[in-house]
Amino acid sequence: MLEIRDLVCGYGHVTALKGLSIRVEAGQLVALVGANGAGKSTTLRAISGLVPPRSGTITFEGRDITGAEPRRVLGHGIAHCPEGRRVFPQMSVAENLALGAYRRRDGAGIAADLAHVYGEFPRLAERRHQAAGTLSGGEQQMLAIGRALMSRPKLVLFDEPSLGLAPNIVERMFSVIRTICDAGTTVLLVEQNAFAALELCDHAYLLETGRIVRAGSGAALIADPHVREAYLGG
Amino acid sequence: MDQLLQHLVNTLILGGTYALLGIGLTLIFGIMNVVNFTHGALYTMGAYLMYLAVTALGLGFFLALPAAILGGLLLGAVIEFVLLRPLRGSDIDTTMLVMIGAGIVLQSGTLWIFGGVAKSVPTPFPDAPLHLGPVSVSWLRLFVLGAALALIGLTYALINRTRLGLAMRATFQDHDTAALMGVNVRLIYTATFAIGSSLAAAAGALLGPVYVVFPQMGGLAELKAFAIVILGGLGNITGAAIGGFILALAEELGAGYISSGYRDAMGFLIIIAVLVFRPTGLFARAERIG
Repeated sequence: MLEIRDLVCGYGHVTALKGLSIRVEAGQLVALVGANGAGKSTTLRAISGLVPPRSGTITFEGRDITGAEPRRVLGHGIAHCPEGRRVFPQMSVAENLALGAYRRRDGAGIAADLAHVYGEFPRLAERRHQAAGTLSGGEQQMLAIGRALMSRPKLVLFDEPSLGLAPNIVERMFSVIRTICDAGTTVLLVEQNAFAALELCDHAYLLETGRIVRAGSGAALIADPHVREAYLGG
Repeated sequence: MDQLLQHLVNTLILGGTYALLGIGLTLIFGIMNVVNFTHGALYTMGAYLMYLAVTALGLGFFLALPAAILGGLLLGAVIEFVLLRPLRGSDIDTTMLVMIGAGIVLQSGTLWIFGGVAKSVPTPFPDAPLHLGPVSVSWLRLFVLGAALALIGLTYALINRTRLGLAMRATFQDHDTAALMGVNVRLIYTATFAIGSSLAAAAGALLGPVYVVFPQMGGLAELKAFAIVILGGLGNITGAAIGGFILALAEELGAGYISSGYRDAMGFLIIIAVLVFRPTGLFARAERIG
């Protein structure tokens, strides 16, 4: 579904990605794990068009989307749930969700998806007129997830959804992501919380300083001595 | 007492157009982070477009006003497209210098085309003022107030009630995430600059017929717009609207009770006082565009 080949990306003199290649098959939940600064977020930002690649290709469903503008990428069916939630703090919950469906024109479909999101996250329904900035961290993350789903994507990119959340909420959040994937939406998940991500995923890549150094099933990576040593605390 | 009432009525009328000027400038700054040094020139252009539409095109006063506003909208779009779009991402000094240059070009251009002699715009309103008890006000000024309030209301509705406004507010709060939502951020910048410019042109088109139209009229208007924006807090639209009326009040009372020679100094006294005592503006830092 999504294929990245030899992607090179950087900011100024810093090269964040040094020839990264990954594949995401339709219906899978793929995890991209690695330490802080390994290039995980840059990978997602390159896919969605926020960072222009220096070289390499990104293809989605056979179409070349390398360097396409964010709204074009979204139009092809890729939603990006960014790191740090990035809800619009001074807008209401309802307005945030409306922005998720910004490019859609099918009123009935939008209403159905909105009802679905509110059904999935009743807290958001209760607070639909409240400014998003006043929500708790967990609620903001649910809003960011709901907002990404409002574009009715084929593939969702999740960037560090567990960041800064209480442990019980992290658990709930990962189960929501699994549910999204089981309902037929492909997921590419970026996480520092390597163990949780590897347990959750169908397939995983380990990223170190801009390169993929391990690939395999989540279970295989959990069993890998290098992964255990460096990421899972021995 | 009667004199005070008259000053308050004058404040309302002047304040409406000042608010338009300030809202246009603060909108552009808030969303694009551009200090628009062509704002005064656009105000002047609005007045000249009004003059041309009434005299050369013979459009009639009430059609000439929307035509002048539309002209300001288009001119703003062109300035953004030609000058600001290629400069996106360069540092603020570069952008400011380019905008100062563009302002000079526009002002000198009007001087070159129309000459330095002030023009007056003919209006269809009766010369005799309307008397309301002790207060008298000209029909033209009453129309100016009504039109300014209508345009302020329209701007609010645009920002808070439309899809374009939603995208503008999203871009203001977080342009990267707005792009991820599918917002065409570059188009939002063009639209924002065009709308802000059209408000400056509207203020010029409304005040031009009240006073006279001349190439340098925008200089003072621009400084006043900066005073209003600083007063209301950068990027704060409601602050700019209120700031417009506060500046008008200060000018009216200053001119009436201190000396009419100090009318235009009031704005700068306000800037100095605000910067000393409340550098973020009277109404806190921009909580939101809208």
